[in-house]
Amino acid sequence: MSYPKYFMEKGGFKMDISMKHGAEKNPFITLNPPERAVIFMQQHIGVCNGPLVKKGERVLTGQKVGDAVGKMRVPVHSSVTGIVEDIREVYHPVLNRLETAVLVRMEGSEEMKPLPSTNLDSRKEIVDMVREAGIVGMGGAAFPTHVKLTSKGVHTFIVNAKESDPNLVCDVRLMIEKPEDIVKGIMLMVKALNARRIIFATRTREGEIPELEEIMLEHGIEIVRVTPSYSVGSEKLLVKELLGVEVPTGKFPPDIGVVVNNVSTAYAVYRAAYLKEPLISRGLSFYSDTTGIDNLWFRAGTTLRELMEGLEHETRRYDRFVMGSLMMGWSVGLPHTPLLKYSAGLTALTPEFPKPYDEQLKCIRCGYCDSVCPVDIYPSLIMKAEKEDDIDALKRLHVEDCILCNLCSYVCPSRIRLTKHLWDGKDKSRA
Amino acid sequence: MKSEMPPHIHIGTSKDKFMLKTFTAMLVPAFIAVLAIGEVAFYHLMIAVGTALGIHYLIFLMQRLKNKKPTYPTPYSPLVAAMIVGLSMPVLAPYWLTASVSALMILVFKYGQGYFFTRKYVNPAAAAKALLLVGLSIMIFLSEPLRTGLIFHPHHLRLDLLSAEGFSSVDRFYSTDSLTAFRSLILWKTHGWLGGVSGLAVLVVGTLLTLWAKLKWRIIVSLLLTMAILAAATGFITGGYVLLRIAFHVFTGSVIFLAFFMATEPQTTPMTYTGQYLFGFSLALLTFGLQLFNVLGGSIIALVILNIFTDKFDKIVLRKPYGHREVKT
Ligand code: SF4
Ligand code: SF4
Repeated sequence: MSYPKYFMEKGGFKMDISMKHGAEKNPFITLNPPERAVIFMQQHIGVCNGPLVKKGERVLTGQKVGDAVGKMRVPVHSSVTGIVEDIREVYHPVLNRLETAVLVRMEGSEEMKPLPSTNLDSRKEIVDMVREAGIVGMGGAAFPTHVKLTSKGVHTFIVNAKESDPNLVCDVRLMIEKPEDIVKGIMLMVKALNARRIIFATRTREGEIPELEEIMLEHGIEIVRVTPSYSVGSEKLLVKELLGVEVPTGKFPPDIGVVVNNVSTAYAVYRAAYLKEPLISRGLSFYSDTTGIDNLWFRAGTTLRELMEGLEHETRRYDRFVMGSLMMGWSVGLPHTPLLKYSAGLTALTPEFPKPYDEQLKCIRCGYCDSVCPVDIYPSLIMKAEKEDDIDALKRLHVEDCILCNLCSYVCPSRIRLTKHLWDGKDKSRA
Repeated sequence: MKSEMPPHIHIGTSKDKFMLKTFTAMLVPAFIAVLAIGEVAFYHLMIAVGTALGIHYLIFLMQRLKNKKPTYPTPYSPLVAAMIVGLSMPVLAPYWLTASVSALMILVFKYGQGYFFTRKYVNPAAAAKALLLVGLSIMIFLSEPLRTGLIFHPHHLRLDLLSAEGFSSVDRFYSTDSLTAFRSLILWKTHGWLGGVSGLAVLVVGTLLTLWAKLKWRIIVSLLLTMAILAAATGFITGGYVLLRIAFHVFTGSVIFLAFFMATEPQTTPMTYTGQYLFGFSLALLTFGLQLFNVLGGSIIALVILNIFTDKFDKIVLRKPYGHREVKT
């Protein structure tokens, strides 16, 4: 009901989103806690944590197992009760490299270590609680939420409930199942920011989730139904769509008095404040060719194998898994890779699943990539400049403004993954 | 099982689909050409397509035999280029000329450019035709050029298209028993280039193709608009029938066909939006000038010249990206 078959992107290009059609009706299935949880130290943008526990130590569910000093630091917590089996380097599915992780083997009955009590009338205490709970941007960016909440001069708070990725639906499901809790989380963040205006940006239609709409109305939250498109899910583009202003290059929404947070982040804040639970579990949309999309509630650190076994899926049937968005996430082939606390999606791909970028041809200069680019740069020319190591051209072409949405690769008739050139181009222009 | 970078889905576009769309659209002017001109048009088209495809398959086979990756794994791109050659040939051209242009196009400007350079720098069909036109023009120095194979009357070169009196000869060339010159230029003309038989049909089909295949429309708009403005201005300044001027400069020769099917060829045209507008504008200026000097295939020659400067056009002005512009609140 809430999803059309297509999103319309700039330049008249369509994005097929039929895979999530109707999946918002599937209730969350709560998965069992994993036998062995793999907790990465780095699950946020910023300073990497160091382990706070030792091998052989007993830890409780919700106990901090990693933290660091500095502003951009967010602790990580054990998602199970058990024994620290090992601390070692494991392949990180988002950073695409080996990273330190604490491996906790479940043992004994579950015991929870709650967060300390918080005075919810104190702005500072709310911010401290959000940090202690390890809350990061749940839309996939993993930006430390407490850092956003300390922004000064914020007039508008935007809740991003657009969920624009073609394979994700868990946010809308959360809105259906937990409307009151989401609003409580929103109001706490608004209190911390002292924002005057609250906008709830959604793609759902009027009357689709009446309970949520009613509560929002009571709290003076404006519901804005945004353009059905993939790119408008990006923070900066959402700000433009809603407020008509652009975030200047090199700056972030808080620099212009706006803070954007995901709807799942608001729910995580609610859980921290009212259930005293840090961020150790969340909702996820899982897609496989046999089941379509299922909405799962999982514990962070659950490996893909355990998740698949929990769902009685034959892991070997699948060739690779994409964590997060099909447009932006890396694929991993290793079934012992763990899910992170900000993983919103998982897609299991079979060997037969078409690999559209295998037969890459030469650029035919059709300009499709340039037409679809939502930030109006020229990916085709950036690719050329990157290949030629032309740093001046990369700067002149504003490679730094690329939001890495990957729409340019998505439309390319020569099936070129421009992604690598854009990443490398950014690196080269900064060097 | 290795990690793969995103994205993992694709809209479904492909080079072959792009070519097939263009080919499908070209079938309309081809059909009209055969309807209006008869079997001569049909033979020209068949010869152009047959020559190019024959050479393409020979090279394809050789590459396969030598275990080399085929330059063109499918025939769609050669097919489109061959159709363009066929449709941009003059009705008067001898068949050997059509075959020569087609062979030159596929061998030198399609395979050759692809082999020696990282991309194509000039439109293969336009370059092949321009080369032969320039070569053939030397024939005017022969004693019996028409019989030897020259495809235009040498006295055309003496026409004065700038003054109102000189321009009135257009009436003579284009009006028929049932159509005035103005109507003939837009609707139906049975001499000139195959692809330009019905300017209106090309306009309609070309517009639909532009939307369907998402062609570089800025080139088309600026080319046709500039041509129309230049024609109108000349008409006003020199006196005479302004609408006929516009119809002549926009629909004569292969201008209208070139606007949609040649000037938008992706590889040889600019990528930036300002570059595309300027490319169309410059193409119109050059074409208009060459038309006034009666240069045969002026638009084609102008296109080839401008193709060479495509990279320069891409450096002129860039659009301002998000975050660099003032937005009204
Ligand atoms: S879409 Fe692909 S083929 Fe077209 S210009 Fe961009 S990179 Fe080149
Ligand atoms: S990935 Fe970058 S260059 Fe490509 S469409 Fe998105 S913003 Fe534009």
